[in-house]
Amino acid sequence: MGEIIAILLIVGIVGGAIYYIVRAKKKGVKCIGCPDSTNCKSANCQHCTCHHEEDK
Amino acid sequence: MTLFDADILTKYTVDSIRTEDEGIDTFLFSLGCYEGEPIEVVSRNKNGCIVAIKDSRYSIDLDLARAISVR
Amino acid sequence: MSIRIALAGNPNSGKTTMFNALTGSSERVGNWAGVTVDSKQSLVKKRYTNGLDVVAVDLPGAYSMSAYTSEESITSTYVRENNPDVIINIVDSTNLSRSLFFTTQLLELGVPVVVALNKVDVNEKKQTIIDIPQLSRLLNCPVVETISTVSKGLELLISTAVSLLGTKKTSPYEQASMDGEDKDAMIEADKDRFDFVNDIVRRVETKRPRIDNNLQDKIDAILTNRWVGIPIFALVMFLVFGISQAWLGPWLADLLAGWLEAGQSLVADALAGSSGQLDIWSSILVDGIIGGLIAVVGFLPLVMVMYFLIALLEDCGYMSRASVILDPIFKKVGLSGKSIIPFIIGTGCAVPGVMACRTIRDDKERKATAMLTPFMPCGAKLPVIALFAGVFFGDSPWVGTIMYFVGIAIIILGALLVKLITGVKNKKSYFIIELPEYKSPSLLGACKSMLSRGWAYIVKAGTVILVCNFVVHLMQTFDWSFQVVGEGAESTSILATIASPIAYIIAPFIGVVAWQMAAATVTGFIAKENLVGTLAVCYGVTNFINVDDMILESGASEVAAIFAITKVAGLAFLAFNLFSPPCFAAIGAMSAEIKDKRWFWAGIGMQFSIGYAVAFLIYFVGTLITGGVFGEIWMPILGWIILLGIVAVYTILILKNRVKKVG
Repeated sequence: MGEIIAILLIVGIVGGAIYYIVRAKKKGVKCIGCPDSTNCKSANCQHCTCHHEEDK
Repeated sequence: MTLFDADILTKYTVDSIRTEDEGIDTFLFSLGCYEGEPIEVVSRNKNGCIVAIKDSRYSIDLDLARAISVR
Repeated sequence: MSIRIALAGNPNSGKTTMFNALTGSSERVGNWAGVTVDSKQSLVKKRYTNGLDVVAVDLPGAYSMSAYTSEESITSTYVRENNPDVIINIVDSTNLSRSLFFTTQLLELGVPVVVALNKVDVNEKKQTIIDIPQLSRLLNCPVVETISTVSKGLELLISTAVSLLGTKKTSPYEQASMDGEDKDAMIEADKDRFDFVNDIVRRVETKRPRIDNNLQDKIDAILTNRWVGIPIFALVMFLVFGISQAWLGPWLADLLAGWLEAGQSLVADALAGSSGQLDIWSSILVDGIIGGLIAVVGFLPLVMVMYFLIALLEDCGYMSRASVILDPIFKKVGLSGKSIIPFIIGTGCAVPGVMACRTIRDDKERKATAMLTPFMPCGAKLPVIALFAGVFFGDSPWVGTIMYFVGIAIIILGALLVKLITGVKNKKSYFIIELPEYKSPSLLGACKSMLSRGWAYIVKAGTVILVCNFVVHLMQTFDWSFQVVGEGAESTSILATIASPIAYIIAPFIGVVAWQMAAATVTGFIAKENLVGTLAVCYGVTNFINVDDMILESGASEVAAIFAITKVAGLAFLAFNLFSPPCFAAIGAMSAEIKDKRWFWAGIGMQFSIGYAVAFLIYFVGTLITGGVFGEIWMPILGWIILLGIVAVYTILILKNRVKKVG
């Protein structure tokens, strides 16, 4: 009995984590959880309009 | 003389800026450091000095200090 | 369509603080120029907009529209090309003349402008009086007093901005049209503009005569003095690391780990059933998932305290002074004081640290700094350091602190190598950095920063690390025929067999072939915290914080026996993971910032080689000193071969550069 609960919990927890990661990646988050991530230029720029300008 | 050998805590006026680097010249300009404007050395050490330009403080290195002439 | 308001202004004028206050974000704020490097957008809180949809864009600080640094070109490009509906020009009221230069340029753009006269509280203290109505008249635009640190004046600011939608005002100053190529004409035009600005300032501002050599100047003279300044900097860093790694941090972590473990026991008991033993899947849940999670989250207090202290340091204005002190040292190795900004940001996370390299003008300096930033132990590496400090060195406060200083030393060494391999004759480099006024750091701001970063840590632990721990535990539990691995036959598990080849490569500085260590190193590339999680799963340990408990639980007479490696090996392994290429995210950031493929791979190569070399040297020398045993004979031999190979490659590269210079 205990084992079935354990398996269900595992599926739930791990599944939830994977779902979260997939959803975040779709939104363009480069590093999961990082507060700077949506603005990081290391991801593909989705919101920002700045250009990669070389310094003069 | 340049900022390199100017006295500290003495009001000077910028004479000329010779950096051969247009970018730095423009930057200094936007801070209010250009010919005819007041400037003052607040303190100095072996590697550079701290200057006061228009109520702000900036730390500059020796090369830059030598490039700014004052009178 | 929402209304778009751009926040523009000088560096350090309070833009980002205002942005955070308006939108509820917690973007990074620091009391030194160069902190905001990108534009950021967010919805303004409804209570300031009267229900309207308003988006605020926080632009990097700029002194003028003619771009000198990349921050300024972002600003001028954005404003010219994106046509925001309104511009809020945040003006530092304590430095009117410099601020208004940019203001007059903004006013010429044809976009409605509201001036937010910020930091009025500081002016009050200094007894500086500004005639606001007169200023507004002379600029021909509304002026609103604000104090962004306490969110004062924001409603009026936004409502004024919104009321300007679609209006057009004549600019008070029109620059005469001229040839953009004619430098002298441009300079003359700028001088004229400054004269105009100075005239305005004269008419609206009444200042108390400035005291030169005031207290702040005296402090600065001391802090930037190279004899006193460097020890002070070292002391400050020691305190930061000490408090977070050795004193307050671990104490809090102990409490937290205690609670978490109690929770874990509850789950274990509930699932154990009558036999008192956990069956396979229950074990995977309790030991793998929960246990791995506890191991990582247990270090959360150390991370949060560190972020808190760094936030305080940044806010008070000390960082620019530190930059000044380090500039001469950095100059000797081909960097400059500007590089300290990415390095300090890198103590939080290497990704924004590498991004911050964009403010460095010199191309080579920028690439070198981007390659070197990951050597600074980041927040994710903290648990790793704490783990090894706890397991092998009795929680000594020195371990963490030494690792940070070793990181700094490696950065200097690495920069020197870069300079020797690619260096050109020393051209003049001009270093100038603003020294903002000291302010007492905002405790609230530091708390917010700490909490947001702490939450990020938890989220990362609960997702990426959790999945990794799960996969690792799975791979460790089953062998290739998907049978459960029996006691004593652990090396037949999927994980062990995959990790073995790598275990042989790193054996020279560990002294044994440990697939667990190899597996941990590999998972460390996904996230450095995984090192802790993977080791926890592989060795079946949960609480790394309270080492005494660990001894009791496992019955080992000596803590390190669990890992079955010597203290020296532990230190070497730690060094390898700290100073080799960082996680994939940081590698991605490096690639984006460095752009040049050759430099990028050179950077990775340098990180691997230095990490390996340092680790092996620590192990070899340390084992000699402590009179230990080297493990099997092929290990030190392999280690020396690799080490000498690394040295040979570097020597060849340096000589090639010498020849190039002469020839």
